[in-house]
Amino acid sequence: MTSIASTRSRAHGSPETERFVPGQPDMWAFVLFEAFVFTAYFTVYVFSRARTPDVFRQSQMHLDLRVGVVNTLLLLTSSLFVARCVQAAREGSYRAATTNAFLTMLFGSVFLVSKVREWAMEIGQGFTFTTDEFFSFYYFLTAIHFIHLLIGFVALAVAVRQLTSPARRSQVIVETCATYWHTIDFLWVLIFALLYVMR
Amino acid sequence: MNAGFEKRLIVVWLALSTITIVQLGVGSIDGRAALARNSAITASAILIALIKVRIIIREFMEVRHAPVLLGRLTDLWVVLTGAVLLGGYLAGTAFPKG
Amino acid sequence: MNAPRPESAPPAPAGSFLRRIAWHWRHDEKCELWIGWWTLVVFYNLYGLLFFVITRTQPPPEPSLDPMEVVQWFGDRRHGLLYGYALVFIVGGATAIMNATLAYSIRRMSVSRAFAYSYLVIYALATLPGMLLMGVACTVGAMRPDRDPAVMSWLYDLAFLSFEGTMGVFLIGSLIWMAAVLLDENGVFPKWFGYLNLCNALTEVVVAPAWIFQSGAFAWDGSIAWWINMGVFVIYTTAFLTLLRRMILREDFGTGPLPELATDPAAGSAP
Repeated sequence: MTSIASTRSRAHGSPETERFVPGQPDMWAFVLFEAFVFTAYFTVYVFSRARTPDVFRQSQMHLDLRVGVVNTLLLLTSSLFVARCVQAAREGSYRAATTNAFLTMLFGSVFLVSKVREWAMEIGQGFTFTTDEFFSFYYFLTAIHFIHLLIGFVALAVAVRQLTSPARRSQVIVETCATYWHTIDFLWVLIFALLYVMR
Repeated sequence: MNAGFEKRLIVVWLALSTITIVQLGVGSIDGRAALARNSAITASAILIALIKVRIIIREFMEVRHAPVLLGRLTDLWVVLTGAVLLGGYLAGTAFPKG
Repeated sequence: MNAPRPESAPPAPAGSFLRRIAWHWRHDEKCELWIGWWTLVVFYNLYGLLFFVITRTQPPPEPSLDPMEVVQWFGDRRHGLLYGYALVFIVGGATAIMNATLAYSIRRMSVSRAFAYSYLVIYALATLPGMLLMGVACTVGAMRPDRDPAVMSWLYDLAFLSFEGTMGVFLIGSLIWMAAVLLDENGVFPKWFGYLNLCNALTEVVVAPAWIFQSGAFAWDGSIAWWINMGVFVIYTTAFLTLLRRMILREDFGTGPLPELATDPAAGSAP
């Protein structure tokens, strides 16, 4: 039962020797880089917003906050499942890991559908990319996030491919894919706060 | 699956979800109110979001168990993002357009 | 079977610049690769100088200028545009050498040769919107300053939209390089460079709104569509220039995994 012993020791303020980088360090470099790029986008948004707050606030009222909250919960849940996937794989429970990976995809897919429906609803009410500055940023941020999410599905597919064959099952690759997925999650958390909540 | 870890993940998820639902209440506040209240809502929205992000990074992404450097780099990003967003908001408020 | 270093080649001399160059010309089996690399370095620096300083077409001007302001813009830069772009057209062929060097890196990988060939084709095509069309439009505009302002305005839009907005070629090209790097088992480039290609590709997508907006963050001169985009591109270019240099130093002309860079300074020399 050494794996349980070592994982438990990790939970209790691990000794330095137990520390590990989840997945490829290369993916972490990418995650940090993308995070900074998104911070740049967010800054442009926040600055533009603060300069003409009334226009932004008026337009923001046409977004449905409840949809935003539901979408955030969907991605948080998907992150929970991919984290469980990584842990299951680490302990050799590959069937459980695969199930969790598919659950991640399920919640991610529901998010995609929800997002497209939200766009359709906004467009149906006449709010398009060029309606005003707020909507330009809304569509831009949600669309670039959407594209990242689509890439996330590719990452999950790679993870599933690893998990389903005994010849592969690289823990590093599974963790790398999970790291990418969590990034899409936390970027959305920020986008949600900036588009739906901030005044 | 190791029960301790499984439980921890669910606790984290519950905490994040609860904060999100609380933001539903905050976000429903009418935006036509005074600037001071709007600034407070904005600042808290950004800070709460960054707290959630840091929790995701440290718990879901397992940076808690990663070498200290990675923890510092991600914390650096969180702090910088907070500073730059709040700074951008203040700067934009100071230089309004039209 | 890896090609051995020629035992008969004398060691690289220390000494004057010209002596070292002469040695590389005569004895260095990687001579062509270094010529390719230096072409990249010189060209990108020249490109920066020509576009940012001499022609002053970058950072780009506002899309919202009216025809008379456009005429003024051309007038202010007349000689810079004509001489600067004349130089761009003369050295433009260097892109063939540059693209060949990049494609070489992909050929060295364990992936199918199709990756290298498609990359080569895409980037060969990319010089048209990425450099030549803008040069032609600007020089045509600068050549006769007394042209109808409406025509000048048309040339202005053509120049900047074709330059900033036609990122599709670069998008696919970056994705090809990304896929090659991530699938490669020879370790030619580190995996983070594959992911950086993805970043670069995504920033190309971000430029697309430039076709729609005439002002703001998403216009062709916008803080998002140009400034942040250009920041990522500069980092990307610096990264691949550095990595290509390391690749050439490591190159063993084999087909297997590329050996890591030896710390022994006598193991290889770069001009």
